[in-house]
Amino acid sequence: MSQTQIEIRLSGSGGQGILLAGQILGDALTLERKRIAQSQSYEPTSRGGLSRCDLVAGTKATDYPLASALDYLVILDRIALHASDDILKTNTLVVIDMSAAEGKDAENGKTRALPLLDTARACNDIRSANIVALGALVELSGVCRADTLVAAICAGAPAKLVKSMLKAVEAGQNLVRA
Amino acid sequence: MSTEPATTTQNLEGNEACALGAIAGGCRFYAGYPITPSSEIAERMASELPGVGGVFIQMEDEIASMAAILGASMGGLKVMTATSGPGFSLKQENLGLAVATEIPCVIIDVMRGGPSTGLPTRPAQGDYMQARWGTHGDHAIIVLTPASVAEIYAQTIRAFNLAEAFRTPVVILYEETIGHLRETVDLPAPETIEIIDRQWAAPDDRNFLPYRPGTDGIPAMPRPGDGHRTHMTGLTHGEDGFPTQKPEAIAAANRHLSHKLEPHLDRIEQFEIVAGEDAEVIVVACGLVARAAKRAVAKARAKGIRAGLFRPITLWPFPTLPLQALLQPAGAVIVAEMNAGQLIAEVERHAGDHCRVVGLNRIDGEAITPSQILQQIEELAND
Repeated sequence: MSQTQIEIRLSGSGGQGILLAGQILGDALTLERKRIAQSQSYEPTSRGGLSRCDLVAGTKATDYPLASALDYLVILDRIALHASDDILKTNTLVVIDMSAAEGKDAENGKTRALPLLDTARACNDIRSANIVALGALVELSGVCRADTLVAAICAGAPAKLVKSMLKAVEAGQNLVRA
Repeated sequence: MSTEPATTTQNLEGNEACALGAIAGGCRFYAGYPITPSSEIAERMASELPGVGGVFIQMEDEIASMAAILGASMGGLKVMTATSGPGFSLKQENLGLAVATEIPCVIIDVMRGGPSTGLPTRPAQGDYMQARWGTHGDHAIIVLTPASVAEIYAQTIRAFNLAEAFRTPVVILYEETIGHLRETVDLPAPETIEIIDRQWAAPDDRNFLPYRPGTDGIPAMPRPGDGHRTHMTGLTHGEDGFPTQKPEAIAAANRHLSHKLEPHLDRIEQFEIVAGEDAEVIVVACGLVARAAKRAVAKARAKGIRAGLFRPITLWPFPTLPLQALLQPAGAVIVAEMNAGQLIAEVERHAGDHCRVVGLNRIDGEAITPSQILQQIEELAND
């Protein structure tokens, strides 16, 4: 609840690697000496259905560990479009895939619709859309440094995925820079 | 150069912290049957125990799991099993055997919605009374309710110490949400962790009786191989361990099982009080709900409402006297729990006539939120 505490939600469809992305972002924040509380939907959604992973991060351990007022929201699938409406703030930064953004006010200064899935496809790995999103989120928000995100991937991601994940981070950053 | 013992900071899931706490607390035998949402404990124990010379067995069911840990404890090891509500129901018979035979053991119940198979993936707090009275007959038992990943680690270590010191089953209850919560924790250096071992009977004690209380009221255990003649049975037994029908011996045995923890409450009870000194409205809550209550109390205080929190960490024996002292000047108490109203009856027993007791319950598989509790605090404060 402190001023220095932030709340982040990654959301999408089961199987998109939402939980892995949340763990990596949580580890990156911890590398920057933040203390995190990470919770997630815990349902049989690996083959579809709403999936989310929440991070509450601050310089001190949080009193209440569940997200209640989001500072940052990533949406990778239409199924998650309105799933977080009850905990949005007026200034929540929403990063949303263009395919899911239809009907969402993309002109809103706090919403950025980006081709996250298409960018992952262009990297020849649709499964890396979650990491493309992290790259974009980090570039847009500075929620953590890009080099810490890279360090967290190298330390915590499955070895066979590291190379494509690092490529995905850079692709996500480039989306924002463009 | 700093002389502070090194701690290790890492992000851990609640269920992982439980397994690591068990290893740090000396657990060297685990028997269990996987069940959502506790299975990660078994997974981690399976990978950790062989490395410290311990034994992991996946049993055929929860009944056998409970039986196996009792046997291993009688053999001299510190033991644990983990489950969730349906499995905890199955363990009750052998939990009673552990109570009656005074076998140290630790049982983890990661609470999900019930009754029966209920809601495997949803949090609940419906096992408070099952943990206290799930097995039949009068008895004492220790039940701990950690509220964070760090506390799961610490309280699991403490559970082993309490089980060994007082020859009793110790149950740890936490909700699915905390079991799967991943938090940044500082694990203490191993050399700083207090470890308590059970009291063994002196090998040369020729007058040894397996259930004769020691000076602290707790019987020493016969160490396998020391040659003590012993007999362990779930039948009501005298100090020699054999079944008895003598009324005075039966009464003595049952008094012992019901009251043996009472002289040691100062070592068993743990609780947290937040902003309690001048509180008019007290929230009583455990686990995840207590964390919601802590935020609600802070928000209420920011609005000028004199609210406070009482969080039992040791749920059973219930910390009666500390709560009574806190409630003395308070006008109202909210008992917030993710069940239909279990803890509220215990609070009502101790609150006294001057204090209004109100339940705040949630039984829809969702967690009680800070705003729900704050709303209740405001309503009571304005009454």
